[in-house]
Amino acid sequence: MSEITLTSSDNESFKVEKKIAERSILIKNMIGDLAGDDDDGFEIPIPNVRSTVLKKVIEWATHHKDTSFPDDEDEDSRKSAPVDEWDKEFLKVDQEMLYEIILAANYLNIRPLLDAGCKVVAEMIRGKSPEEIRRTFNIVNDFSPEEEEAIKRENEWAEDR
Amino acid sequence: MDSEREDSPASSSVSSLSRRVMGVENDRSFRRPNIPIELDDFDSDTSDLMSLRNSSHPSAKTSPIEDYSSSIHKLPPEVLLLIFTNIRHKPDLVPLLLVCKRWASLLVELIWFRPSLMDNQALRGIREVMRRDRTSTYWDYRQYIRRLNLSFVYDKVDDEFLSLFAGSTNLERLTLVNCSRLSHRPIVDILQGCEKLQSIDMTGVKDITDEILAALAENCPRLQGLYAPGCPTVTNSVLFRIINSCPMLKRVKISDCVNLNDDTIVQLTEKCKFLIEVDVHNCPNITDFSLQKLFCDLDQLREFRISHNPNVSDILFRVIPEEMYLDRLRIIDLTGCLRITDRAVEAIVQCAPRLRNVVLSKCLNITDSSLRSLAALGKSLHYIHLGHCSNITDYGVVTLIKSCHRLQYIDLACCAQLTNLSLVELSSLPRLRRIGLVKCNNINDAGILALIQRRGYDDTLERVHLSYCTNIGLYPIFQLLQACPRLTHLSLTGISAFLRPDITTFCRSPPADFNDNQRKLFCVFSGQGVAMLRDHMTRLFLAQTHNNRFFMRDGPIEPQEAQRFRALNQVPEIQDGRQRMEENIQNLQRLTNFFRAGGQANQLAGLQAQAGLQVQAAPAAPPPEDEDEVMSE
Repeated sequence: MSEITLTSSDNESFKVEKKIAERSILIKNMIGDLAGDDDDGFEIPIPNVRSTVLKKVIEWATHHKDTSFPDDEDEDSRKSAPVDEWDKEFLKVDQEMLYEIILAANYLNIRPLLDAGCKVVAEMIRGKSPEEIRRTFNIVNDFSPEEEEAIKRENEWAEDR
Repeated sequence: MDSEREDSPASSSVSSLSRRVMGVENDRSFRRPNIPIELDDFDSDTSDLMSLRNSSHPSAKTSPIEDYSSSIHKLPPEVLLLIFTNIRHKPDLVPLLLVCKRWASLLVELIWFRPSLMDNQALRGIREVMRRDRTSTYWDYRQYIRRLNLSFVYDKVDDEFLSLFAGSTNLERLTLVNCSRLSHRPIVDILQGCEKLQSIDMTGVKDITDEILAALAENCPRLQGLYAPGCPTVTNSVLFRIINSCPMLKRVKISDCVNLNDDTIVQLTEKCKFLIEVDVHNCPNITDFSLQKLFCDLDQLREFRISHNPNVSDILFRVIPEEMYLDRLRIIDLTGCLRITDRAVEAIVQCAPRLRNVVLSKCLNITDSSLRSLAALGKSLHYIHLGHCSNITDYGVVTLIKSCHRLQYIDLACCAQLTNLSLVELSSLPRLRRIGLVKCNNINDAGILALIQRRGYDDTLERVHLSYCTNIGLYPIFQLLQACPRLTHLSLTGISAFLRPDITTFCRSPPADFNDNQRKLFCVFSGQGVAMLRDHMTRLFLAQTHNNRFFMRDGPIEPQEAQRFRALNQVPEIQDGRQRMEENIQNLQRLTNFFRAGGQANQLAGLQAQAGLQVQAAPAAPPPEDEDEVMSE
């Protein structure tokens, strides 16, 4: 069983079973393109991901190494599936970490993890007023009252359902 | 890959949007002169996005509080979009527009990507916005509209309304189904500059002219779907233009067009190599010659429809080379092509072995032999329409059904030779959802009861057409309603037993163009009407069993009571003769037992006649000539 070495932006290395590392399509393609027949011990730098985050991502991939996920193309079932219970627990982290996991999943092309992260954030948004959302995410309101009024007036037709 | 149909709004919006937000395309729609915002604002906003993309957070050097405050800004636009598309209920996105400018610039595209025009209220709202000068609104919303579907508000769509959308140059799909009030002018206007248009559906538009097709040829080189049924005036030269300008055409429907001829089809075959769907209904000047070329050159063809064509003959499929298989062909519709015979059907099945839908209605020459050929399609065949093929007998239907057990839809309207035996066979189809038996006058109560008894309760049937089966009475329909909980459509037009006020009160209103006589005979139940008819008949028959008298109980019936009655499943009395019904049932039992024992068709005929005779024929209502429920889906 071959092992791959992943090195984080802060130079920490992790030895990972190939099958687990290949949950990342980016890594899978790199191994396919560059490693040749003997891929044991192949080293891949992950310059965009900090070690604490990479550790979390590896934890996720290890848990899901045998999970079969809906096809990437199958937009509907991917969108409608609820977040897996284990993933929900796994993603109970501070906002900073949550965004970094999402960014890492995006960069490494791990679609199921990216979807789960985005759904968790969508849950944090759903049903809140703009003011509550700004508070939750510490966003500064950069609209003038006139602009707010105009946007409201021009889009309220889409809201009446 | 069928990108035209299968790309979902979310995925295509996300990819195209993120491309744009990342600056591949300049977003010129952020003009808002009346609102005092400096352009610099927007510029710095974009450059901010660009730096964030590189994940070096600009505020990282500042205080930790500020760092935290903007941390969601770490997420690149394509990820934010993914988050927003996970808020699946679109109206929930609207309040989010007010959170901040960065979010708003992404959300506005999602909200306007496909403006949801489901009702008149939305139509009025959007009209008000679009009527404002486009420089006086916060965004020029036209830039964001990718899909415009006006078919849900078709009756309110006029030239003025559609012309409000002129300048929506990012349009990818335009759906104008049933917008019959439109003239060609606003359609021509809206097409100007729409170089990304992939599909236009003008089904039901009355004024499909050369001007529209010329505008498509001029502006829309990426057109893949062209639905223009009912365009009798368009000329061959403009058809050539559009074929030459739009080589990506995949789905083409041009119907009722005398100018569409063999030259047009040959041109289409030569220029449009991606065609998968061709519909040339009622174009009488096409012949076998060009269609042979079409089938030989385009073996990826999936759907082919032609109708009322006097030229298409047996030759068409017989000259297709033997080694050639139209493996992809799933749908063929040859409605009313009178020169089609059993030999053509045999040849079609041989070269297209995976046909799913076969429509041969009004192919008056086909016989049981065609049904024997079609039986070879086996489990592939899901949909068969044989309306008006009056040569067909029980024998052919039995042969077909025995081989094609996945049939979901079968129409045998006006196949007047069919008897209860066909119904007994239909009872064996586990997935059957729709039966059409309009004007199959030989079937009667015993046949319907056999169908129900053998299919059992909790049946899959959704739509049953029995109009002008004049020998059917109340009881079997009562049983049918009990047995088929999914029934949403039941047509019983012209059957005297049902033309009484307590029953027709649940019937939907007849089409506007029906005359008095047609109105008198009209008896069709759909949606809630079916449920109400079921309740009513349950009450009717309950009242009879309990009281031996014909009257209606007042008030709604409790479900337990209905269930008990269903469980009893006893033969209730009918006003005009309990004995007759019991005899019927006994005959029916013998019939089904006989059938289970593997009786031969000819032996059965005697028994069946016996069963049939027991039900006294109701006085036949004369069907009006143009009653054409056959075609109603």
